Amino acid sequence: MWSRWNLGWSDFDDMFSTMSQLRTYMDRVFDDTSAGRAWEGRGLSGLGGWPRANLTDTGSHISVTAEVPGLSEKDIKVSLNQDVLTLSGQRPIEAPKGYSTHRQERPSVEFSRSFSLPCRVNPEHAAAAVKNGILTVTLEKAADAMPRQISVKAA
Amino acid sequence: MARETGLVKQEPQSLVQSDRRTVTPACDIYENKEEVLLVADLPGVTPEALKINLDNDELTLEARRDLASEGALLSAEYRDCDYRRSFVVPSGIDASRIAAELKNGILQLHLPKSEDVKPRAISVRAG
Repeated sequence: MWSRWNLGWSDFDDMFSTMSQLRTYMDRVFDDTSAGRAWEGRGLSGLGGWPRANLTDTGSHISVTAEVPGLSEKDIKVSLNQDVLTLSGQRPIEAPKGYSTHRQERPSVEFSRSFSLPCRVNPEHAAAAVKNGILTVTLEKAADAMPRQISVKAA
Repeated sequence: MARETGLVKQEPQSLVQSDRRTVTPACDIYENKEEVLLVADLPGVTPEALKINLDNDELTLEARRDLASEGALLSAEYRDCDYRRSFVVPSGIDASRIAAELKNGILQLHLPKSEDVKPRAISVRAG
């Protein structure tokens, strides 16, 4: 009970600097996960879910890349329905046989994330590959969604 | 997002790449009689980009992860970053036999225990 009354000035300083450190840290955490949400993804946990994904427009193709450490091609199901791309699968985490667990931070997930693509794509020319734990799905834009040049004629 | 609203089409805006961040990778730590095993998620990291240093009893992992990016980035949930994490290695680890392997974006770091700290059975003599 006495300790409550012993707050000196230095304790206040510490308290404020801790609060501002906490605020900076929280800002960084939110920044990291909410940058550039131009499109929706339905996920399992938190703001976006697992795996985290990026969307790139290369002109002729739409490319979806995702962080999938530990998974290979056969562990991920990629399906395309009109202009909705769905990634699903699971990434289970188990302690190796005979080991006890001291710390478990990597999430054990069963995931299914769907993405609305910004334009229609040609399902015939879709490719997916996993390298170093990054999945890249390359989708060719449908013919009518390709960028085109309009020629300007002198009047 | 390119969207057609009548005659006006909105072009996709490229996202500006912000400063490179340093990220703490998620790690699992397991142990058995022979070794301590550390498993870390490092998606996009190649063995050349990963550096593991042991300085006295501090083990540091550092890796650089760059995305192969061509075209306009429409939406990003992850970016180029540096991974960095340090651990204090308990005494009883044989530093000369530490081994690391990186596959599919997962690092497995084996920290074998020194012989003298391994559990052993003490035989009992009738005396």
